[in-house]
Amino acid sequence: MKKRMALLMGGALLATTVLSACGSNNEQNAAGGNTDAAKGNTNSPAVEDTAPLELSIAVHQAAEAPAKGNPMEQAIEKYTNTKLSFQWIPNSGYDEKINVMIASGELPKILKVSYVPNIISAMQADVFWELGPYLQDYKNLAAQPETYYDNIKVDGKLYGLPVFRNVGRAALQYRKDWFDESGLQVPKTLDDWYNVLKAVAEGDPDKNGKNDTYGFMLDKNYNQNVFSTLTRLSVMQGGPNKWGVDDQGNFTPEFMTPEFTDTLNLFRKLYAEKLINQDFAVTDSQTVDKAYEAGRVALRISGGNAQSMQSNLEKVVPTAVMDVVGLEGSAGIRVPAESGNAGILAIPKSSVQSEAELKRIMTFFDQLLDKEMVNLINKGIEGTHYTVEGDYTLPLDKDADAKEVKPYRDTLLQRGESYNMDKLMKQTELFEKNNKVVTENEKYVVTNPALTLISNTFTERGSELEQMITDAETKYIMGKLDEAGWNAEIEKWKQAGGSGLMEEYKEAYLRNKK
Amino acid sequence: MKQNVSISAGLPGTKAPRGKADTLLRDIIRDKWLYLMLLPGIIYFIIFKYVPMYGVSMAFMDYKPYTGFLGSPWVGFKHFERFFSEPQFGMLFRNTVILAVYNLVFFFPMPIILSLMLNEVRRAKFKNFVQTLIYIPHFVSWVVVVGIFYILLTTENGILNELLYQITGRKIAFLLEAEWFRTMIITQSIWKEIGWGTVIFLAALAGVDLQQYEAARIDGASRWRQLWHITLPAIRSTIIILFILRLGNFLDSGFEHIFLMITPTNREVGEVFDTYVYTKGMTQGQYSYSSAVGLFKSAVGLVLVLGSNWLAKKFGEEGVY
Amino acid sequence: MLQDKTIGNRIFDITNYTLLILIGLICVLPFVYVLAVSFTSPAEVAKGGLILWPKEWSLASYRYIFSTDTLFRSMLVSIYITVVGTFINLLFTSLMAYPLAKATLRGRQFILLAVLFTMLFGGGMIPTYFVVKAMGLTNSLWSLMIPNAISAFNLIVLKNFFQQIPDGLEDSARIDGCTDVGVLFRIVLPLSMPAMATFGLFYAVGHWNQFFSAILYINDSRLYPIQVLLRQIVILAQGSIGDTSIDNVEIQPLTIRMAVIVFATVPILLVYPFLQKHFAKGVMLGSVKG
Repeated sequence: MKKRMALLMGGALLATTVLSACGSNNEQNAAGGNTDAAKGNTNSPAVEDTAPLELSIAVHQAAEAPAKGNPMEQAIEKYTNTKLSFQWIPNSGYDEKINVMIASGELPKILKVSYVPNIISAMQADVFWELGPYLQDYKNLAAQPETYYDNIKVDGKLYGLPVFRNVGRAALQYRKDWFDESGLQVPKTLDDWYNVLKAVAEGDPDKNGKNDTYGFMLDKNYNQNVFSTLTRLSVMQGGPNKWGVDDQGNFTPEFMTPEFTDTLNLFRKLYAEKLINQDFAVTDSQTVDKAYEAGRVALRISGGNAQSMQSNLEKVVPTAVMDVVGLEGSAGIRVPAESGNAGILAIPKSSVQSEAELKRIMTFFDQLLDKEMVNLINKGIEGTHYTVEGDYTLPLDKDADAKEVKPYRDTLLQRGESYNMDKLMKQTELFEKNNKVVTENEKYVVTNPALTLISNTFTERGSELEQMITDAETKYIMGKLDEAGWNAEIEKWKQAGGSGLMEEYKEAYLRNKK
Repeated sequence: MKQNVSISAGLPGTKAPRGKADTLLRDIIRDKWLYLMLLPGIIYFIIFKYVPMYGVSMAFMDYKPYTGFLGSPWVGFKHFERFFSEPQFGMLFRNTVILAVYNLVFFFPMPIILSLMLNEVRRAKFKNFVQTLIYIPHFVSWVVVVGIFYILLTTENGILNELLYQITGRKIAFLLEAEWFRTMIITQSIWKEIGWGTVIFLAALAGVDLQQYEAARIDGASRWRQLWHITLPAIRSTIIILFILRLGNFLDSGFEHIFLMITPTNREVGEVFDTYVYTKGMTQGQYSYSSAVGLFKSAVGLVLVLGSNWLAKKFGEEGVY
Repeated sequence: MLQDKTIGNRIFDITNYTLLILIGLICVLPFVYVLAVSFTSPAEVAKGGLILWPKEWSLASYRYIFSTDTLFRSMLVSIYITVVGTFINLLFTSLMAYPLAKATLRGRQFILLAVLFTMLFGGGMIPTYFVVKAMGLTNSLWSLMIPNAISAFNLIVLKNFFQQIPDGLEDSARIDGCTDVGVLFRIVLPLSMPAMATFGLFYAVGHWNQFFSAILYINDSRLYPIQVLLRQIVILAQGSIGDTSIDNVEIQPLTIRMAVIVFATVPILLVYPFLQKHFAKGVMLGSVKG
């Protein structure tokens, strides 16, 4: 502070000297520009009051940061007896900001983090409170399925609460009108898939006389993360979710299984016969979405709701009808499990020092899952965002909901209709059907056995190894690699650390099992 | 360097120097106002640039944000050793250097040529208009530029590719083929930054004495000769300075741009230090490792800057310092 | 200005003009696209392709933008930091560049080398944050203006510009009784208007495009400049840069994204035409004679 003052004063002083420098004083204005710089930002320390709990929360910023002290926040504060101060951090600098916050010790009481190597190592170093032992004391938190908690554990310990999200969101959405008209069936086996995609791509289901339809389209992230189309299709056919593990604890990556290889071969064939978009390796998901919304594609596997696609599609093709079913392969419905969260709310030890305060914060979390709060966080304020009609609630203002409610829905704890919501939101049939598929999916999810296993190789070169394989997949599909080439890439992967990864997972798995 | 300073100390107009210390003191007193003017800048550089410089030590530790600079263990040259022994090091180095050379050869001269062209325009209004148009792309982000190139060049109904198809009967996957990658990068860079690059040269050209041109015309010098003998020399020192400073960032490839253009099929020519560091540092939290790579890039830049400056001075130019 | 109208000259001029028009058109294309999409209806955009003129006009995107006060507030923040910040930049930079342009100044080389060094080596994000915090600048707009008060690049190039001013002019001012400070402000700066306009523009654009320091140094989202919002809306929509684990960010339609780009870019685009008169040839001489 002092140094800064000195600096500015120096500058101002100099600027003044300048003006008198030539002895004549006919020009005595101009330099007054930088005087009010000294105004400090006086953050008056709040007087400690026993009543409401002061809670600072740092989370990702949604599209727009809601204003401080808005009705939503007031309602949460009133119910939970807290004084909230949200810090909305834009995504484009979130990770860096978190690192700076950790490095400078300026942590809020609640911090939203992701399950990434960096944060995992912070958890291992006890930067955050371990919450596992406390969970049972809070009725709502204890009532949530174990999986959600297990999926974010580090060495078997829980260092935060998951921002809940369904574990099996993927569903098959398709153009019912096209399917009905051409007498097509929803595909199950990979052969079915090939036949349907061929029929749509070579036919002219939109009847515009142009050869401009596809059965399916890929974007450049088609084989990335949990949303990988390849994984979804191969799981449908009975394959593992990213990693397979046998009784002895031996780990096999998905791309070394026959189901995955078959899926890969399907796309290789589709590509060669020009039945999928030839430029998928450079196409971003936005462009592909646009093609879907313009009514040029028949099928897609998506974690979003079919209703939003129907609504967009109707604007371009008024007669379009979307429908949705579960991901059913030859072996019944099988869906790769996602992590079940959109981030983790962790409590740093440096900002919350006493166990008493920790428990108070846990109470806050627990209260968020009470009926009143579930309603508020999911639907907003009655009369403003929704209204009650019989056994249902009706949304009132979609825009207001997106601006005022969604930021809290996305960052605080809630499980939507799955927990403690007494009256469901009235939605279209399609929307509800899609929701039902997603809820049902929970029974059929295939988990990724390596999700919470810790491996040094993964921490050090995990993304490199992954990139080697995803690149090779793309090249194989595009015919730039033949089968021998693909196998050589797998060998290369093993050499570069893949084998070590498999071993380390096995060790960690067996260790955890004991 | 000390010697350099003392050589230039004997100034015309001052009395014959008696002692070195004496002259030094006299010079400082003579220039007291100049030193006072330097002060705020020097303070600024010390506080905001030199005080944080201890951060360089990160490259020699296993830095974690929660243990900080004091608590993280020192590991010596571990990260450098790892970097130089990575199997990709050769590829990264080659890709980065080739792209950097392409940039210097094809991109760097473009704004100069364009400003010379603009300089030949006599109608002020036309000149201003063109200037305003060409500097606009600088403000369009890489995401949008790459998006527009996709629309133009994709093999699925890309406008230019359709045109190509009409003419030659085949399409070229410009955005996918490794052999087109560098051409694409340089073309996009030129497109986006050529106009912006002219600003500084136009400012330099604004200082040219118009009488020189008149004199040259009277002597019957052609436009080319005028350009060669009057215009170019006027901006020569600016060009040299910019060139030397550019060498300092020789190994910087423009992360965002490259990152957006890399695909699985062109990675073998597209992956550069910057994108590699991103994967390491950002997605895997290996700060120390990234910082070591950064330090290596800086060291290369330093050698190039010092070398080229020395060379410039050798040829009688002012150079950077 | 008499011009000998030889055929060679004619051809030279015609080629030159044609080429410039062509380059101008190619350069303006991306912005035309952005502008056209922002005025097109979402349904039309969904059909894809390159849109250079809206077929179905729609003001929906702009209506959306103007319905929120966030964009206006951050626009004001951006204008403020750009205007005040650029003033600070020019003052500090020219104060430092002028002495360094004097070949006889003792220690000059050392200082220049030290400045050059900072262009190549930096302490990185975290140590810089500590300094900014220690100076009490965090969470205020000063954190976006003071920590980048002088750009080493601009300083070095400006020093070079100053060096090219004939010494004679300065000497005559000194004889009139001006100190070095006076010479800078009364003689050198007025003579260097093209340079001032150039570096003013560089600094202004730099301030305008700031977003990362804002996220880093400022906690109160009401103090975020427009670029933070622009990144939030435009870059993330592409889903390629940033945290991939966050996939539930709301993605705005292309039309709104483009409208936000227009809204956030036009103010800074307007700066240049106003500066252009300073680039006119012979400014330097004219001001001296007059």
